[in-house]
Amino acid sequence: MIAEAVVTKSASASLLGRWESRLKVPGLLLVVFCFAFVRDLSLLPLLLPAAALIYAVSGLPLKHLTARMRLPGFFLLAMALILPFWSGQTVLWQLGPLALRQEGLLSLLLIVVKFFAILTVVIALFGTTSLPKLTVALRSLGIPWLITDLLLFTYRYLYQLASDLRRMRTAARLRGFAGNSLFALKPLAYIAGTMLVRSHEQSERVFQAMILRGYGNGSLPLPPFRPLPADYLLLAASIFLSALLILLQFII
Amino acid sequence: MHIPDGIISASAAIGGYAATGGLTWLSLRRIKKQYDNARNEIPRAALLTAAFFVASLIHIPLPPVSVHLVLSGLIGIMLGWFSFPAILVGLLLQAVMFQHGGLTTLGINACLMGIPALLAYYIFRLRILFGREKPFPNGLFAFTASFAAIALGATMAAFLLVYATPAYFDAAAERQAVIALSLAHLPVALIEGVFTAMVVLFLLKVKPTLLDGDRP
Repeated sequence: MIAEAVVTKSASASLLGRWESRLKVPGLLLVVFCFAFVRDLSLLPLLLPAAALIYAVSGLPLKHLTARMRLPGFFLLAMALILPFWSGQTVLWQLGPLALRQEGLLSLLLIVVKFFAILTVVIALFGTTSLPKLTVALRSLGIPWLITDLLLFTYRYLYQLASDLRRMRTAARLRGFAGNSLFALKPLAYIAGTMLVRSHEQSERVFQAMILRGYGNGSLPLPPFRPLPADYLLLAASIFLSALLILLQFII
Repeated sequence: MHIPDGIISASAAIGGYAATGGLTWLSLRRIKKQYDNARNEIPRAALLTAAFFVASLIHIPLPPVSVHLVLSGLIGIMLGWFSFPAILVGLLLQAVMFQHGGLTTLGINACLMGIPALLAYYIFRLRILFGREKPFPNGLFAFTASFAAIALGATMAAFLLVYATPAYFDAAAERQAVIALSLAHLPVALIEGVFTAMVVLFLLKVKPTLLDGDRP
């Protein structure tokens, strides 16, 4: 039900995996924002190879990529069914009331290529950065501790709650609950309510235990920041790629 | 109601991040004013964030399809000003773990869920005027809050999809598209409203303190 955000051995040994997260996160974020900035169709042939190169140095298997593309792909399918037929004036081909329009097709092409390019880089980024490392990077980017603490705690509780929910639903099924009509709304609401009450009571116990262990007395220091020349080189490469995309955007 | 990467223009994505930054700052300020030690509230907020995350995996049968819960109304009701950072964290985790929802659009999506959650929080607080412990105002305002949250979120998303995508619709078609996309969410908003009212009535019986997200 919930995929674990773990970094595999091959991914953490790869070039991207060894890149200091405090430079990798801002570097790759810059790249995806510049991908999002592209409005010109003639720049599209540059996006896919760039994204493929970044994915290639992540050490992640291709299956990892395709498995994660499936779910957002449905949204893209919906756009593919709407845009070419409703957007624009230039009719390319007509069949009864259906007209294939040029502007719609071109904007669909732009959306699809940008979508795949951005998602590929994002998957490479999160596939090679563990959550604790991501938190450190976010802290050094100036994200308040309240947000990063919330992030770590939420992640910590996710799996437990997911298994709680699974247990409750199994119990409900054993009692003959099918949950396939609108009448299932009330039992489902009670299951959700029970989960909230249970997790709240548990959070109070956890909090007491944490205070006993010294939580709340200032935030923990971040691990030392000792980047290698290669870390800066990778950052320079991503800044170069981003600058190139923006420059070409203005020249073309 | 998530807007994925690559669909909307970069300026809209950056605008979304700016708005999220401002709202997060405002929320943190309100939180620090409301609680003596905001750190004490983190375990509770995190557990509820995780619970909402997991509960949104529950699919409600709406024959012939099934819809999954958004829960932005319930998050607002139970977490108050904590709901905006909680939603931001939930969406970030979703982007990290499933690459679902988008990273460049994280700011936009946080606003699409977070602003309705804050609206729901204030609507639900109106129940105090009619009696905090009475079931009827609790149920009514929970329904209204959640319905309004979904309706607002869907309308905002529809506006963005129509006006901030690189598409060339004519003005009349754009208006129609916004109306159609918002109306398509009407059944979802109704179900979500009824569901939230049921959860609130359940909590009122079992653990009413959970509904006072606004009181430390």
